[in-house]
Amino acid sequence: MPYLYNTPEDQREMLAAIGADSLADLFDTIPGDLQLSGLLDLPPALSEMELDRELNQFAGCNQHAGTLACFLGGGSYDHFVPAVVDAIGSRSEFYTSYTPYQAEASQGNLQVVFEYQSLIARLTGMDISNASMYDGGSATAEAVLMAISTTRRHGNVVVPHSVHPEYRATIATYLENLDVEIRWLKTPMGVTETEHLAQAVDDQTAAVVLQHPNFFGCLEEPVKVAQIAQNAGALLVSIFDPISLGLLTRPGDDGANIAVAEGQSLGTPMTYGGPYLGIMACDKKLVRRMPGRIAGQTVDRHGKRCFVLTLQTREQHIRREKATSNVCTNQGLFALRATVYLAQLGPQGLRETANLCLQKSHYASQQLCRQPRFSPAFDQPTFKEFVIRDAENRVDELLQSATDSGYLAGIPLKSWYPELADCFLVAVTEKRTREEIDGLVRVLGDSA
Amino acid sequence: MKNTQDTELLFDLSRPGRRAARLPACDVPERPLSELLPSTALAQTPPNLPELSEPQVVRHFVNLSTQNMSVDTHFYPLGSCTMKYNPKRNERAASLPGLADLHPYQPDSTLQGILQILYELQEMLQEISGLAACSLQPAAGAHGELAALLVASAYFRDLGQKRSIVLVPDNAHGTNPASATMAGFQTVSIKTTSAGFVDMAELTAHLSEQVAVLMITNPSTLGLFEPNMRQIADQVHAVGGLVYLDGANMNAILGITRPGDFGADMQHYNPHKTFSGPHGGGGPGAGPICVTERLAPYLPVPLVVRQNEQDLQKNGDSPPVYRLDFSRPKSIGQVRAFFGNVGVLLRAYAYLRTHGPEGLRRVAENAVLNANYLLSRVKTMLPVPQGDRCMHEFVASAAQLKAEKNISAMDIAKRLLDYGFHAPTVYFPLTVAEAIMIEPTESEGKQTLDAFAEVLSHILQEDPQLLHDAPHTTSISRPDEVRAARHPILSHPEE
Repeated sequence: MPYLYNTPEDQREMLAAIGADSLADLFDTIPGDLQLSGLLDLPPALSEMELDRELNQFAGCNQHAGTLACFLGGGSYDHFVPAVVDAIGSRSEFYTSYTPYQAEASQGNLQVVFEYQSLIARLTGMDISNASMYDGGSATAEAVLMAISTTRRHGNVVVPHSVHPEYRATIATYLENLDVEIRWLKTPMGVTETEHLAQAVDDQTAAVVLQHPNFFGCLEEPVKVAQIAQNAGALLVSIFDPISLGLLTRPGDDGANIAVAEGQSLGTPMTYGGPYLGIMACDKKLVRRMPGRIAGQTVDRHGKRCFVLTLQTREQHIRREKATSNVCTNQGLFALRATVYLAQLGPQGLRETANLCLQKSHYASQQLCRQPRFSPAFDQPTFKEFVIRDAENRVDELLQSATDSGYLAGIPLKSWYPELADCFLVAVTEKRTREEIDGLVRVLGDSA
Repeated sequence: MKNTQDTELLFDLSRPGRRAARLPACDVPERPLSELLPSTALAQTPPNLPELSEPQVVRHFVNLSTQNMSVDTHFYPLGSCTMKYNPKRNERAASLPGLADLHPYQPDSTLQGILQILYELQEMLQEISGLAACSLQPAAGAHGELAALLVASAYFRDLGQKRSIVLVPDNAHGTNPASATMAGFQTVSIKTTSAGFVDMAELTAHLSEQVAVLMITNPSTLGLFEPNMRQIADQVHAVGGLVYLDGANMNAILGITRPGDFGADMQHYNPHKTFSGPHGGGGPGAGPICVTERLAPYLPVPLVVRQNEQDLQKNGDSPPVYRLDFSRPKSIGQVRAFFGNVGVLLRAYAYLRTHGPEGLRRVAENAVLNANYLLSRVKTMLPVPQGDRCMHEFVASAAQLKAEKNISAMDIAKRLLDYGFHAPTVYFPLTVAEAIMIEPTESEGKQTLDAFAEVLSHILQEDPQLLHDAPHTTSISRPDEVRAARHPILSHPEE
C-alpha cells in the first residue's frame, strides 16, 4: 500500500514488543461475531497512474466553466482566482496542519485567522468576525439561532422570499425542532416590501433576515429594514456579497447586527458547491453568543505579540450541551485563500472587480432585453445578477439549447418560485468578456 | 534565518498607492455609477483594505507558513484527529478543471462524471459502514451529527412518538451533546466505568421510551472497542431508540468490523480524518452520514441516484444516467446550500480507490499496530489508566507526575515541540486527569515512533523548570491566554 511505512520486519518487531502473535491478535477486543469474515465489497485498488487516468476520464465527462461560458450565479460564482491565491493555498505547511490548539506550533495559521478577521471587520464595517463557518447557508441559519438566543425571543423570525431559497431551506431545517415560527414574506416586486415587513414583525420577533443584493440580484433597502427590525427589538441578519462591497455601503453602516456571507467569491473555486467559506461578523456586544472559533491577540511570556484561539468558553469542547453551537471545524484553508485574495486585490482591485461585474451585467441585461422575447422580471436596481422573463415561457428548452451551444446561460427559477416559471437568473462576473456576453445574447436570441 | 520584517501584520506592511492586482479595462460601454445604482447604496470610499505589492503578499504568507507545524513537516500525533499523510495525487486530482470548475447549478447532463464519482462514493461508504443509504451533504462531522439527529427526530415524528432524550457517554466529543441541543433534544450524560466502557447498569437505568438516540463513539475516545456494543445496541433498540455512531475513530476498524453490523442505525464519517482529506489548518472537513433502510427517507436532499434501465428507456433518447434526486417528501430538507463539500469528497474517493478492500484493512491494521507499539513504549514511562491494549489511539495520564514533580500534560506537550514533534491532544477526554491522547496513524512507522518515545523518555528526566518554560525554540512561547480572553483584541484596529 502506497502510504504505509512499516516493513514486514518492523511489523514482527513491533508485534513482539506488544506481545501479540499477529496483526489479527490486535483486534481480539472486538467480539469475534462482530468481525467481518471476508473483505469489504469495494472496487480493487488502483495504482497512481490508473487512478490518474480514471479521474481524468471522469473529469472529461463533465462540461466545466473553462469550456462553457458560465453565466450561473445564485450564490456560487465564476470569479477570477489570482495565481497567488493558489500558490499560497497549496503550501502544505498550511493545508496539512490542523486547528491551532498549540499556539506555538501554529502562529502562521493563527496570524492568518487574525488577519482574516480584521479584513472581514473592515470589509463589512462590523466589530467582530469569527474564524469562519461552513458556508453561506449554514452561517445564515447559525446567525438566526444566535439572534434567538441573544434576544431570548422564541416567537418568530421573518424571512423574505428574496433570500436565497437554499439558505431559507437551511434555516427551516435548523429551526424544525425549536418551536420558532418562520414568517415568510412574499416578494412579488423582487425586493422586500417594507410596509409588509413592518406588519410581519412584532414584539416576539427575534430576527429579520435580509439578503442585499438579494437572490434575484436586486438591491434591497437595508437601512429601512434595519430600522423596522430594531424598532421592534429584533436583530437584523444581513446576507451580503463580499465582491459587492467594492462599491456598496457596508452592512455595518447599514445597521446590520449580524452580517453573514458566502465567501466563495474570494478566491475559492466553485467545485460543484463546496467546500466554501461561511463568513460571519457581528456587533461587539454579541460576541459571546457567536458560534465558531475566534483568534485573538495577546503576548507570550517574553511580552512578544502573538495570537491564540480565544473566548473558547462559548464552544462545544468546553461547554458541551450549553455551547453556542456544535460547530467545531472552521474553513481555515478558505479563510486563508480569502485573506490572500483581499491582500492581493487591495481597495482598488476590489472596487474595479465590483465595477466590472456591475457594468458587464448591466450591459448583458440591456442587450438581452433589446429582444422582444426577453424583459427584466423586476424593475429594481441590480448589482451583478438579474432575472429575465421569457415571454414565450420556454425556459427549460432555451437554457438547454444554450448549453448545447456552449453557454451556461442561467438558472431556471421554477423549482423554487413556481410563479417565476417563465424566468431565469443570469450572473455576470468580471471574467465574462464582451464577446461572451454578445455570444450569449445571440444564442438565446437564435433559439427564439 | 528568521524573517520577521515580512511577517508584520498586513496592515503594518501597507503603504498608500501600492497595488498588486491589475484588472482588464472594461470592454463594454461603461456607464456612470449614478445611472446604475441609487446613490444611497454606494459607499463613499473604497473598502479599507491594505495596499501591498504581489511579491510582498507572497513573502508574507510563505514566511507565515513556516511558523506552522504540519503533517508534511512533522510527526503530528494529535489524538482524535487522525493526522495521516495527505496524498499529493488526491490534491492534483481535485484541482482538475473538469472537477474544480463546476458550478453547482449546472444541468445534470453536463455533470455525469462528478455525479458518478459521488454516486460510487455513496455506495462505498454504505458498504464500509454496513448501512443502507448515504447523504454526502453535511459539511463536517458535527454537521453530520446534527443532520442525523434531525433525521432521527423526523423518523419519530412520523411514528407519532415524542422522544426528547439523547444519551451521551461522559467521554464523548463535546460536539455530541452540543449537536443534541441544536436538534432540540435534551442531553443526558451517562457515566463510563473506570475501565472506560459504558456502565451497563447506568445505561439500563437511563433507558426509557423517552430516549430517542444513544450517541456512542466506538472505538471510544480512549481508543477502546466497547466490549458490550451489541448488548448496548440491543437494549437501546428494545425501548425503540436508535443508536448513533460518532465515526471519528473509523480509522481503527476499516474492513475489520462495520457499525451497521454492531448495531448502529446511523453514523457520520470524517473524510478529512479517515480518508486523508487534508485538515486545512482547521477545515474544510466533510461529514457524510449513512443510515439504515428505515431512516433513508428522512435523509437531507439531494441524493445522487442512478436511473435504472427501464426509466432510461421510458425517458427517451439519452437522458442522464446519474441525477440529483430532490423529490423525497419525508426528507429533513437541506442542512446547507448546494450539494456538499465535494472537494473533500473527491479526495475521499481517490483515497478509497487507491486502497481497495485489502488496502483499507491494512490501513486499520497498521494504525492499530502503531498505536499499540507506541503504547507499549509509553506505558513504561507514564501510566495509561485504561489498559495494555488499544485500537488506533491511547490516553496516558500525567496526573502522578503532576503530583510528584509538578509536571503537567501541558508541560510535556510544549516541550515536545522543541524536539520537532507536534504535541498530542491534551486534557481530553475529560474523564482522564492530565490526559495525553496519542494517535500515530498508519502513515507513520517504527522509526518515527521509536524517536518519539526516546524524546518523551528524555523529557521526563529533564529539569521541571525547563518544561514549565517550554517551548524554547519556537517563535513564541506560552501565550497569555487569560489576557486574550479578558481583554479581547479580535481584529487590528481601523485607523
